[in-house]
Amino acid sequence: MLEIKNLTKSYGDVVALDRFSLDLKKGEVLGLLGPNGAGKTTLISILAGTLRDFTGTVTFEGRNLFSDRTLKNRIGIVPQDMAFYDDLNAMDNLLFWGGLYDVPRADLKRRAVEILDLVELAGRAKEPVKNFSGGMKRRLNTAIGLLHKPDLLLLDEPTVGIDVQAKVSILDIIRNVGAAGTAVIFTTHQLAEVETTCSRIAIMDHGRILAQGTFDELIRIVGERDIVEIAGDFAAGAFSEALRDMAGADVELLSVADNLASLAVSDSGRIPRVMDRLFQNKLAVTDLKIQTPGLETVFLKLTGRSLRD
Amino acid sequence: MRRIQRILHVAGNDLRLMVGDKVFFFWTLAFPILFIFLFGLLYKAGDNAPAVAEMTVVNLDQGRWGSYFIKKIEAPGIAVTVTDKEPAEYVRMIILPADFSAQIEARRGQALAFKKRSGASTSAAARVETRLYQAIARTISELVLYGPGDLTKFLDGHPAFRELVVVKGEFPPKTVTVVPSGFDHVIPGTTIQFIMMMVLIYGGIGVMEDRKKGILGRLLFSPLSTGELFQAKLLGRWGLGLLQALMLFTVGKIFFRLNLGSVPLALLVIAVFSLAMAALSVFIGSLCTKEDVIVGLSVLLANIFAALGGCWWPNEIVPQAVRVVARISPAYWAMDALHKLTFFQGKFADIALPVGVLAALAAVLTAVAGRSFRIRD
Ligand SMILES: Nc1ncnc2c1ncn2[C@@H]1O[C@H](COP(=O)(O)OP(=O)(O)O)[C@@H](O)[C@H]1O
Ligand SMILES: [Mg+2]
Repeated sequence: MLEIKNLTKSYGDVVALDRFSLDLKKGEVLGLLGPNGAGKTTLISILAGTLRDFTGTVTFEGRNLFSDRTLKNRIGIVPQDMAFYDDLNAMDNLLFWGGLYDVPRADLKRRAVEILDLVELAGRAKEPVKNFSGGMKRRLNTAIGLLHKPDLLLLDEPTVGIDVQAKVSILDIIRNVGAAGTAVIFTTHQLAEVETTCSRIAIMDHGRILAQGTFDELIRIVGERDIVEIAGDFAAGAFSEALRDMAGADVELLSVADNLASLAVSDSGRIPRVMDRLFQNKLAVTDLKIQTPGLETVFLKLTGRSLRD
Repeated sequence: MRRIQRILHVAGNDLRLMVGDKVFFFWTLAFPILFIFLFGLLYKAGDNAPAVAEMTVVNLDQGRWGSYFIKKIEAPGIAVTVTDKEPAEYVRMIILPADFSAQIEARRGQALAFKKRSGASTSAAARVETRLYQAIARTISELVLYGPGDLTKFLDGHPAFRELVVVKGEFPPKTVTVVPSGFDHVIPGTTIQFIMMMVLIYGGIGVMEDRKKGILGRLLFSPLSTGELFQAKLLGRWGLGLLQALMLFTVGKIFFRLNLGSVPLALLVIAVFSLAMAALSVFIGSLCTKEDVIVGLSVLLANIFAALGGCWWPNEIVPQAVRVVARISPAYWAMDALHKLTFFQGKFADIALPVGVLAALAAVLTAVAGRSFRIRD
């Protein structure tokens, strides 16, 4: 349904998207996972048609996405900002935003009622939006993108800055929309969300996709290994030096920073030997965590840095 | 068709948001009406060329020529009041001294005191002065022709000699004889000022806030194009200007017997003027990123333009040099056109120049606003 090929966009010297390519099928829910500055918003803005001066191609059902403005009737976009009118109530906001699309007036009203119900705002439809909590505003922000029944839904960090309950409800909405046949791309820098919501996950950084697949496929990148996170009082250089001759297939240094390092070990019997070596080199260790690999590890391996950085 | 619907949809929503503001009617209705009251009292309607010009003659003359002279002054359109004491209040007054007749009979020259109250109508004064000169000239010429006999009787027998001397009064070119005043000046003046202030403030802030919140960007997610969005922004602000004028004109018609000359032509002036201000507001909103700056700039511009442009006091009374500088104010052209309609019986041809200037200004400002219009900071 959507094909993105070699999309490249620079802001001066900063390359925000670097030959970015992606395919999306009908009904697929793709989680685009990347840290701040990875280029997620840039991608969404280009697809939304509000950012120009890029190279590469985007086709929607075989047609150039930017050739025909009526194609926009089939795409719903939920921006990162809460971009709606605080002085209007939820219903009036929906009627206004929906009115921009080629939806018959009568359908629009009915659809707005349905959507308010879907995002659990039906009881507050007539209240000025400025009285809403952060979570309610997020739900309205999402609702506006859904009103005209798009075939492709793009959401930019739809769960930022809200409580857990609101987050769960927005992820539910996304899942339901996908189940109803709409193709969805949503960006996030939160791992737990993509694990539970997406049929496919793409990890991106520095403007390109580093890996993509189902959750299980991605986990296989790090293999069946234990992940050891070591915190202490040491310099990155000294840490790497201490473990230099141990590093290999059995012990892999995933990331090393001052006072914090991550390793992948294929055999947990190796851990005491790693610790011995650190003590011999007089490196102070204050904390040790052993985990089974998750997306966090995959991300660490692919980018050399933690998503939380 | 859908294109026009989309533009109207966005413009209508903008207008609704502006009108829905809590303090909208305070600023667009209560406050300007207060202005109209205050300035209306300050510049209460002057007696522009009253139907009857008043003239008081203090006749102290001991002889017969005083009353003969007074007969010569009397004319339709001039109400002559004769007294033998100088009154405390008068509009204009001439004093015939005790030796008025004695001096005439002695064939000696004499000076008569003619006094005007300040603020008396200029053109009524002109009418009276003309009549005075005529009376003096006739009395002298009749004395020369017929001697000291009873001239009254002689003229009865020879009516052809009555209109012996005709004096014609004429103002030098560019003399201001009609000074726009009263509510007919104050209401259009206040309207023009508040169109500037309201359109610039509400219009500018709206553009700036919508851009900052990402609303302009989101509007473009829909089939709406950037050009359509810009047109919608202009249209909404233009509507606000028209609404402001309609409110104050309606209040003026109902409560102050506002006379606009020609209502359709007055609305044409307002429409073109509002369009220029709508474009300026989009430009200011695109340029500025802070609400305080927009409010400050708008209030400053609106008041400077209003003062210079003749919204507060009529431009017809300011020195010529100031009138020339005033042309940089868009309000000058609007007030010029509105005054021509109300006070000078202007037709379309009379306001073609100021309306043309405003239309050109609107076109230039629209082009400038279009170039600076942006959807994100
Ligand atoms: N308007 C802009 N001007 C200059 N640089 C920008 C602009 N927008 C984004 N960038 C840069 O482009 C990169 C990608 O940004 P963005 O797409 O916002 O990332 P994300 O949404 O993943 O956090 C970042 O390095 C960011 O600093
Ligand atoms: Mg972003």
